[in-house]
Amino acid sequence: MGYTFHTSEDQRIMLEAVGANSLDDLIEQIPPEIRLQRPLDLPPARGELELTQHLENLARKNIGAGSAVCFLGGGSYDHFVPAVVDALASRGEFYTSYTPYQPEVSQGNLQVMFEYQTLICQLTGMDVSNASLYDGGTAAVEAVLLSMSVTKRSRKVVTVASVHPEYRQVIGTYFAHLDAELVTVPATAGVVSLEDLAAAVDDQTACVLLQQPNFFGCLEQVEAIAKIAHDRGALLVLAVDPVSLGLLKRPGDLGVDVVVAEGQSLGTPMSFGGPYLGIMACREPFLRRMPGRIAGQTVDRRGKRCWVLTLQTREQHIRREKATSNICTNQGLFALRAAIYLTAMGPQGLRETAELCLRKSRYALERVTGGERWKSAFGLPTFKEFVVRDRQCKVREALDEAVRAGILAGLPLGRWYPDLDDCLLVAVTEKRTKDEIDRWSDCLLGRRPTA
Amino acid sequence: MGKPEELLYSETHEWVCVEQVDGAKVATVGITAFAIEQLTDLVYMELPEVGSQVTTGGEFGEVESVKAVSPLYSPVDGEVVAVNSELPDRLETLGQDPYGAGWLVRVRLSDEQSLAKLMNFAAYQKQCADEAH
Amino acid sequence: MRNVRASQLIFELSKAGRRAAHLPHCDVPCRDVKELIGDEHRADAPPPLPEVAEPEIVRHFTNLSQLNMSVDTHFYPLGSCTMKHNPKRNERLASLPGIIDVHPCQPDATIQGLLQLLFELQVMLGEISGLPAVSLQPAAGAHGELAALMVAAACFRDRGERRTKVLAPDTAHGTNPASARMAGFDTVTVKSTPAGLVDLDDLRAKLDDQIGVFMITNPNTLGIFDGQVAKIAELVHARGGLIYLDGANMNAILGITRPGDFGADMMHYNPHKTFSGPHGGGGPGAGPICVTAALGEYLPVPVVRRDGDRYSLDFDRPRSIGRVRTFFGNVGVLVRAYCYLLTHGAEGLREASALALLNANYLLSRVRHILPVPQGDRCMHEFVASAAALKKERGVSAMDVAKRLLDYGFHSPTVYFPLTVPEAVMIEPTETESKETLDAFAEALFRITEEPADLLHEAPHTTPVSRPDEVQAARRTILKWTPC
Repeated sequence: MGYTFHTSEDQRIMLEAVGANSLDDLIEQIPPEIRLQRPLDLPPARGELELTQHLENLARKNIGAGSAVCFLGGGSYDHFVPAVVDALASRGEFYTSYTPYQPEVSQGNLQVMFEYQTLICQLTGMDVSNASLYDGGTAAVEAVLLSMSVTKRSRKVVTVASVHPEYRQVIGTYFAHLDAELVTVPATAGVVSLEDLAAAVDDQTACVLLQQPNFFGCLEQVEAIAKIAHDRGALLVLAVDPVSLGLLKRPGDLGVDVVVAEGQSLGTPMSFGGPYLGIMACREPFLRRMPGRIAGQTVDRRGKRCWVLTLQTREQHIRREKATSNICTNQGLFALRAAIYLTAMGPQGLRETAELCLRKSRYALERVTGGERWKSAFGLPTFKEFVVRDRQCKVREALDEAVRAGILAGLPLGRWYPDLDDCLLVAVTEKRTKDEIDRWSDCLLGRRPTA
Repeated sequence: MGKPEELLYSETHEWVCVEQVDGAKVATVGITAFAIEQLTDLVYMELPEVGSQVTTGGEFGEVESVKAVSPLYSPVDGEVVAVNSELPDRLETLGQDPYGAGWLVRVRLSDEQSLAKLMNFAAYQKQCADEAH
Repeated sequence: MRNVRASQLIFELSKAGRRAAHLPHCDVPCRDVKELIGDEHRADAPPPLPEVAEPEIVRHFTNLSQLNMSVDTHFYPLGSCTMKHNPKRNERLASLPGIIDVHPCQPDATIQGLLQLLFELQVMLGEISGLPAVSLQPAAGAHGELAALMVAAACFRDRGERRTKVLAPDTAHGTNPASARMAGFDTVTVKSTPAGLVDLDDLRAKLDDQIGVFMITNPNTLGIFDGQVAKIAELVHARGGLIYLDGANMNAILGITRPGDFGADMMHYNPHKTFSGPHGGGGPGAGPICVTAALGEYLPVPVVRRDGDRYSLDFDRPRSIGRVRTFFGNVGVLVRAYCYLLTHGAEGLREASALALLNANYLLSRVRHILPVPQGDRCMHEFVASAAALKKERGVSAMDVAKRLLDYGFHSPTVYFPLTVPEAVMIEPTETESKETLDAFAEALFRITEEPADLLHEAPHTTPVSRPDEVQAARRTILKWTPC
């Protein structure tokens, strides 16, 4: 059932050429005592039709954003993906190629990397971008490690409870093996207080890791926090929502040193969490500490402009144990998708998308808090996400009820924040219509849908 | 700085020129023409900061070509008192004048014992001849 | 034929006022954004992205794609990367609604089909490796190495042992030492014998009570199965260390031998290689890891569990090293791997590996008369030839040969790796190539070695660009477009 060619005649000729009587002769390189003496215990092989039916059956058992109305966020969002993104990224010349080790036959991928890097710099206002990392969480870890290397402070990093809890968990996992401490400043009001943060940052702190808009959807005082960090010789690492940059000030204009982001919003489907796109951009002086592939412009032997992988001495295949990171692949296909998405949106499209997210989410918040049951948890300005508190403390029941009505109504925050067990994180993208938002709020308020 | 014949050399291809400055011994350190040729097409160099301490055999910086990184090993012990900070932006200087304008750092020696282990020009030439084969 | 205009940089095609996307009108009250977001947060203007129309975007990226070689268009014998056919059915099935549109934090009850798929994949990967405890979380092979080394470190910590060293052969992938360092270990390199196997004497000399993990790629990067592996495992285990198998070369041994049966305690898969990818122009991959039952409790969270006919994500694992990434894993890649495994079944997988061996050995039998293969006349799924003699006699390097192959319409093999073979040319044909393709490749290689050296130094001649000036790229870095 595989994808092989050989006729029995081909196989006979080839075996003869290699001096073997059978395929089993070739396996004799493996000592018999460690060879598997039975067939693997696997399900039987399926042809394409049976496989398709099987997968369709499995897929039908899931309720995705295509069949339910999705108000889930927390780092993965149901944004609209224009057809050009799918059509162009599914060209085999892109997705069946590999890392451009031979630049002469990889100019397509290399130019896309270079365009992606430029687009990310335009989007973030930073000096340089790499060609992508795995996802937002690992990009945050890499940014923290970069900060430790740049500042030569390898023992302490300060973050805030309003940063994505899973990003902080990932950093915690890495730090357990690096003898470093992650100090988390509370954000009980929905954002961090400048006083609390200033008290936590000292001259041993490598960086402050902040998120904007933060995990609760609220806006932090980035510029003031940059100053607090810089006053102590620490860097500011900012995790952003790339779509918000259609509207919000760019990190590069606010004194941020390293920007990371989950790039899923930029044309990548939710796919139950991956593969996604880790975005990382930084200020010029930190370039040589930046992990991941980077494409650079040069000329060929005939003087023609072209692109190559550059600054490769940073990487594991040359520097081995001294490399800036162990990362090998990037997320080329999703960097391509992000590049097509940003190009298709353009400045106006991205701004309008951001404005739609903002207006719709504000409408949703006001609608649901118009009744008795729900109130805004923090009462602060938000972008496309917000937190509402259930006065009846029945978040789970409300969500179950919503699922029955075909609505994925929000993320219960108790899983990450025990003290916010009565809270729901709600994301409203440009895709949500007024009608869907009304149904959602009616459902959460226990009203019968207004037909 | 000096003629190659008058310098001292380490096994790791650094050269050393020791002078008396204000009552202290100061060593100027560079890399040899042989090493520069072996490294081919240097693209980047990282040098230490003034005031940092170096120890014999310890790394004090590195040079990179497109596909290789080579650490720079200190041939002496002491404190870095000067760095050729323009050099990383003008790497071609290394090839043009390795024993003069291509110097890397000056080190005020804290200990002169390591000098005794360095080679003279003739011994170093022999080492290069051996390595070339 | 080439459309030079459309393949300019997208920024050079931009003209103020053009656009592709038109967003819907706002159907909720259209309040002034200034009222909703204060001046201190709001930018005066949107980011300066390019402004282009949809037809131009399509033409631009389509033209760029045509400047690439790919598995869909060319033979791509890039050693160590397993560039096999990327089945189209897998692409379609991974994009089904109910898979591609599922949010990572949905309630388990709404994703039973997906959890069933992922659970079955865990079981299959455990069976193929002989290591039953599985985490699908790591995002790539290197990430899997790191996660597994953290698992090892957590285990040593629990045992109250201080083990600081990771040993790896000199033929190892660069990710091995880099991952070891990130997991807090020091690395020690073990020599290989001239035949390309682990030098057991050197290993014995370097084994002490500080040994944490020995990382081995088997078959190794020379395409040789190191038959001493069980002995190596015995030596390492005797010192309390663990064996990690770098699964980069699993395509050679599916259903033939299992890492868990030859002494490995931990391994990662590269599904983008072994289970047909695709490679995505340099990612995404995935790096699921399998470990012994005893180490299972340290795996990252969450893992998928089954209770009767219900599936759930298990986060309650007190000894887990924790998360190594956001959300569950690179599910899109994992779904493709699942499809690949179900397409093949047990017999099909074994046959795929056997045919990968046949193709590699057949190509080896033809290539060794052209470029010597220092490690002999049998290989597993790949082999490493050397252009050292060609270089000495005619001044033609492995790089020259690699570049000239592009002119003949073949992607180059991996060159200059592994580091232990001078002028290395590492060739991995995979099982999804025909005899005709392999013959044509060998023929091209032969003709190249007969060509004038000057022609080869300047190769390639027919590609969209000739050899780029990498020195200039690294010295005067230009990493983004800037308006002139």
